[in-house]
Amino acid sequence: MSGKATYKTFKGGIHPPYHKELASGKAIRPAPVPAEVFIPLQQHIGAPNEPLVNPGDRVELGQKIGSSEAFVSAPVHASVAGTVKEIAEVTGFTGAKVKCVVITPDAEQPGFARKDRDITALSDQEVRDIAREAGLVGMGGAAFPTHVKLTPPKDKPVDTVIINACECEPFLTCDHRVMLERPHDLVQGLKLLMRAVNAKRGIIGIEANKMDAVDAVRGAAKGEAGIEVDILEVKYPEGAEKMLIYALTGRKVPPGKLPSEVGCLVQNVGTAVALYEACAWGKPLYERVLTVTGQGIKEPANLLARVGTPISTLIEACGGFVGRPGKVIMGGPMTGWAQPDTSAPVVKGTSGIVVLTPDLVDVGTEEECVRCGKCVDVCPMFLLPNFIVQAVKKGQWDRAEMWGALDCFECGCCSFTCPAYIPHVDYVRKAKAEIAALKRR
Amino acid sequence: MKVADKMLVTVSPHLHKKDETIQRAMKDVLIALTPAAVWALVVFGFNVVYILAVSCITAALSEVVMRKIMRRKPTLTDYSAMVTAVLFAFLLPPTTPLWVVAIGAFLAVGIGKELFGGLGKNIFNPAIFARVLLWFSPLAVYTTKFVKPFFWKASGFFTPIATSINEGAVGRAVYKTMAGNPVADLTTAATPLSLLKSGKWLPDMVAGPTPVGATWLNSGGKPSFWSLFIGAKSGCIGEVCILALLIGAAYLLWRRTIDWRIPVGIIGTFFLLTLVTWYHPIYNLFSGGLFLGAFFMATDWVTSPVTRRGKWIFAVGIGATVFIMRFWSLRPEGVAIAIFLWNIGTLVIDRYIAVPKFGEVGAKAFNRLPVLPEPAPEPVKK
Repeated sequence: MSGKATYKTFKGGIHPPYHKELASGKAIRPAPVPAEVFIPLQQHIGAPNEPLVNPGDRVELGQKIGSSEAFVSAPVHASVAGTVKEIAEVTGFTGAKVKCVVITPDAEQPGFARKDRDITALSDQEVRDIAREAGLVGMGGAAFPTHVKLTPPKDKPVDTVIINACECEPFLTCDHRVMLERPHDLVQGLKLLMRAVNAKRGIIGIEANKMDAVDAVRGAAKGEAGIEVDILEVKYPEGAEKMLIYALTGRKVPPGKLPSEVGCLVQNVGTAVALYEACAWGKPLYERVLTVTGQGIKEPANLLARVGTPISTLIEACGGFVGRPGKVIMGGPMTGWAQPDTSAPVVKGTSGIVVLTPDLVDVGTEEECVRCGKCVDVCPMFLLPNFIVQAVKKGQWDRAEMWGALDCFECGCCSFTCPAYIPHVDYVRKAKAEIAALKRR
Repeated sequence: MKVADKMLVTVSPHLHKKDETIQRAMKDVLIALTPAAVWALVVFGFNVVYILAVSCITAALSEVVMRKIMRRKPTLTDYSAMVTAVLFAFLLPPTTPLWVVAIGAFLAVGIGKELFGGLGKNIFNPAIFARVLLWFSPLAVYTTKFVKPFFWKASGFFTPIATSINEGAVGRAVYKTMAGNPVADLTTAATPLSLLKSGKWLPDMVAGPTPVGATWLNSGGKPSFWSLFIGAKSGCIGEVCILALLIGAAYLLWRRTIDWRIPVGIIGTFFLLTLVTWYHPIYNLFSGGLFLGAFFMATDWVTSPVTRRGKWIFAVGIGATVFIMRFWSLRPEGVAIAIFLWNIGTLVIDRYIAVPKFGEVGAKAFNRLPVLPEPAPEPVKK
């Protein structure tokens, strides 16, 4: 029993309460089919899709129902077999209206008909094409189209593919469960990613609070050339792209640059498994594993949910609320979106639904900044969040940029640790929008 | 699909560190100051309690009244006024007249904090601000005369004693009770640093009873290192017992309320400079307000730099300034002035000293404003 083991990590960051035990022991089970699915036409960062179906049309499971000619986009597929009811504007999880294909599912839902394919013979271009056709996006939350990430600039070859298996967000356990239940598929997915960018090295980075997953994945990766499984310190935001690359490889992505700058590519666990499914089975991304958890949920669970399922269906599938919900968050509690009601549909990037009880909601009132510098200490990007806030309050956009507003990836460590309860992230978003508007002129 | 009650919608993050509030930090400081206050009570008698009480009550009243006048929301519950009041009292000689204490406490909270915009906007550490103001005011005579430790043994533990102007000799002080009766046998005593300034301490150390006026903890008639460290010496209320201050500081460091870089930088720089010049390093280190200033005044969140790099510059600057003040200036002590000056420096440090962002290569040393296009002019309303 030596002291505390030290694992790879980055500088800064915080130790939030994790509460992973609520759902980490629950095996993945399929979620029920809702009465209606609402499939947003745009679930990724990039160009919006145009609908390929009309109201009244019959759609099959996995049929492509929206796509775009643009390179930075990902098509969407029907998550149920049924009839298109309408194409309507629905309030999405961000609170903004999004264009959705509303489908009424058939009473009897077919299973997915696998079209098995030999993945060992696929070329890099074929993997990229399959990723695009399957509508793959980053499933950690950002939802950036995968095939775009798999197309790094010619002059910046990628030598290392990293699987982000940190799941540093508190509460969420979906990646943990996927690693436990499908380690083989994850490793195969990583191999496909490595092939797509011609990388020789693959690293799976797992936080030290998931040692069972480390064992499972190490078992599956045994004998695979170039694949390592590394353990990372339990700290938030360990899974932030730049932090993860630094922790695992010691390389630092310069501000404003992409990971390809240092020869790295980072993909989420869910994305790697989805790529394997797309390549090996011909299955498009129409469903995903997500965690429904929190003290405000009767039976926390890891569900395989169809894209377009309203939150309310999933909450009912988990026994409903315990008492009155304080906050319902789509995504993790550090970067997720609080929901005014439970009508928003699940998208490809939804990693979980967290329900906090009212007594766990710690909002506080925003006070004057007392310049304690705690936000500066925890900022993993070494920015000055307090001065960004100050600049935004005064409308000094040049100063906001000087203090690093554009380099912030909104992890929320600053607000978490702020004794004055200042919502830095909110101010940063405003600064980003204003600076972008000024630069467009 | 409807939810029975309203749910709360805020921006991310949705978690907050437990117990991380301004209030908690201020309470921590108050707790950390307790050992020094207890020791002050032992060495200077109940006078300390009178001064603390007047300081706290005046500070609280000043804050309430000033905020009312300026139509700000009341913030008495954040305890920051109490911290300022206690720290200010700690900077005073144990026989400061209570009306001077009241004026000082108002200067600290009413002017030094509230008039600058309240907690977070003040440029100077309020307690230091008031102390320096009093120092350079006509009231200086009341705040620069010290009595020997355990003076209450002659006058009584609970008897309030106050410095009073000696009509006979300009610049000298006498000590009177509240009723106005002079206290016999009570005269101004030299602090360790004023002894050092007058160059007397070395011969006294060999021959005299003790340069610090302590009669216990000494052996063989020589002053011990312990009388300086434990605090059997004359000086300001809160500064005398280094041990008590270190206990409080350890608590604050353990609670992560203060940053270790500032005290380490100040004390380290000062000690190094006294070592290099061989200016009685140990004697100097444990005399005066160095520890009180380094751990409790300079670490004030509001008036110290927010970046690590800035904190080091700030701390080294204070340490060097304290040395310059003690070595070359006419005054024996310079901690308050040094912190006061570097409070101004904080603004410059924070604005100009650049911190390289994660992954930034070829980082610059100083911040420069980026040039953005001018925003579109506001449309003129007709």
